[in-house]
Amino acid sequence: MIQLLVAGLTVGSGYALVALGIHIILRATRIVNFAQGEFSVVGGLFALTFVQVLHANSWFALIGATLCGFVLGLAFERLVLRPAARSGEIGLTIATIGTVFILLYGHALVPGWGSLPQPLPAFSGEASDVITAGGVAVGVQSLWAFALLLVALGALYLFFERTYYGKAIRAASNNPLGARLVGIDVRTTGAISVGLAIALAAYGGTIIGPIALVGGAGGVAITIKGFVGAIVGGLESPVGCVAGGLLVGVVEKLLQGVFSYGVADPIVYSLLLLGLLLRPQGLFAARGAIRD
Amino acid sequence: MTNAAPILLDVRDLHAGYGALDVLRGVDLEVHAGELVAVLGPNGAGKSTLLRTISRYDSTLRSGAITFDGHDLTRVTTERTVRLGCLQVPEGRQLFSELGVDDNLRLGAFSTDRTRLADGLAGVYDRFPSLAARKRQVAFTLSGGEQQMLAIGRALMAKPKLLMLDEPSTGLAPQIVERIFAIVAELTRSGTAVLLVEQNAYLTLRHADRAYVLEGGTVALSGSAAELRADERVKAIYLGGDTV
Repeated sequence: MIQLLVAGLTVGSGYALVALGIHIILRATRIVNFAQGEFSVVGGLFALTFVQVLHANSWFALIGATLCGFVLGLAFERLVLRPAARSGEIGLTIATIGTVFILLYGHALVPGWGSLPQPLPAFSGEASDVITAGGVAVGVQSLWAFALLLVALGALYLFFERTYYGKAIRAASNNPLGARLVGIDVRTTGAISVGLAIALAAYGGTIIGPIALVGGAGGVAITIKGFVGAIVGGLESPVGCVAGGLLVGVVEKLLQGVFSYGVADPIVYSLLLLGLLLRPQGLFAARGAIRD
Repeated sequence: MTNAAPILLDVRDLHAGYGALDVLRGVDLEVHAGELVAVLGPNGAGKSTLLRTISRYDSTLRSGAITFDGHDLTRVTTERTVRLGCLQVPEGRQLFSELGVDDNLRLGAFSTDRTRLADGLAGVYDRFPSLAARKRQVAFTLSGGEQQMLAIGRALMAKPKLLMLDEPSTGLAPQIVERIFAIVAELTRSGTAVLLVEQNAYLTLRHADRAYVLEGGTVALSGSAAELRADERVKAIYLGGDTV
């Protein structure tokens, strides 16, 4: 039971960062990015390349993949989102869905990436190492994934709450016209927000890499579960997105453990519908904040 | 209306609108350094459009010239007008409603080099003591008058040469409106030029140096505030026939 919980928090860490990325892009640009999960997959593959080609360890691979994710996010904003914005909301939605397919079928063509999932090396020791406490064995790599999730959340919190530029990005999301009238270039803050969100996805795809493997065709499922998390927790609330993502991971693993692999997904998606019906604003909806 | 101070804002034959709609049909207007200039006029005359066109957002500039402090504003971004020192407190204030009072003010200095941000902040808190008491409060929880002061304070953080205010009295109680006008008048005495768009002609003409009356997208009348106070048409339409 505890093992299932830990496994759930591990995959949930990936969903949480995908959900948070969806939230950041939505807040900054009013765009729903359906390709967020694919970027998580591609980010994990960046890490794999750092390991295989540059013989980096998983730590350097994590840093490298995150930076590559940021640059990829800037390119995504400049080459896909900004041109598509001219054709309105529907054009943007189609553009992000198109990006899903480009990344889904395109990544398999990259030498070394292939179409089958592959493991990343462990962050410490062997991938199979466990820590036993109170008679319960917990995978060390799962603990790393969860700890690295907390590191990312802490860094984001400091950036958005304590730095001048982080606050400028929040201001630009909160009131784009007000931001322009103090001299903030909202296109730049929007682009940086997308870069950050894709960097987060890449980071998330890498920290779960030693356990959940990287690559493969799972990006769409990650996007959907990230979405379920974001909507259950509250799309407008960063805390809600993280909590929702973790919750989806835990529910998924518990269901897989108690029933069977095939039963979990339909129930997780039913959670989304139930959440939308019972609490459309999410479990952690912001209190009374007025949106324009 | 002799004014030896140099011209800060010079608007010549300005035509602007939205899509197919023409709103400004040849507006000429100037603001000298340190002057308080008012723009009066009925709803739909183009007062807000004039400010938006000067700040280069929303409206489409069709033709004409806007020169600010020697710079051509017709081909620049809104962010650039701010960096040049041409600030606007727009309709609806456009505060960062989810951020605190302190953060709203600090972000007002975004366009500056921010080395003297703390001094600017202290100056704004001196000018608006009620904001100083609410530094940590989230902006949307402030009263209407405090929000207006925060909006003005945020613009002052950018060290403006010209401050453009779009109907700052809207929705505020009379004594708060009096205070806002007193603050605006004080600003011009300390050297900041103000271009004030207002419905409240009585108070506006009491404080302004000069005024323009916009009607149907052109300047119907202009002159010193004293001249306009004495004008029969202004009295009839804007001052409700009261003697001023």
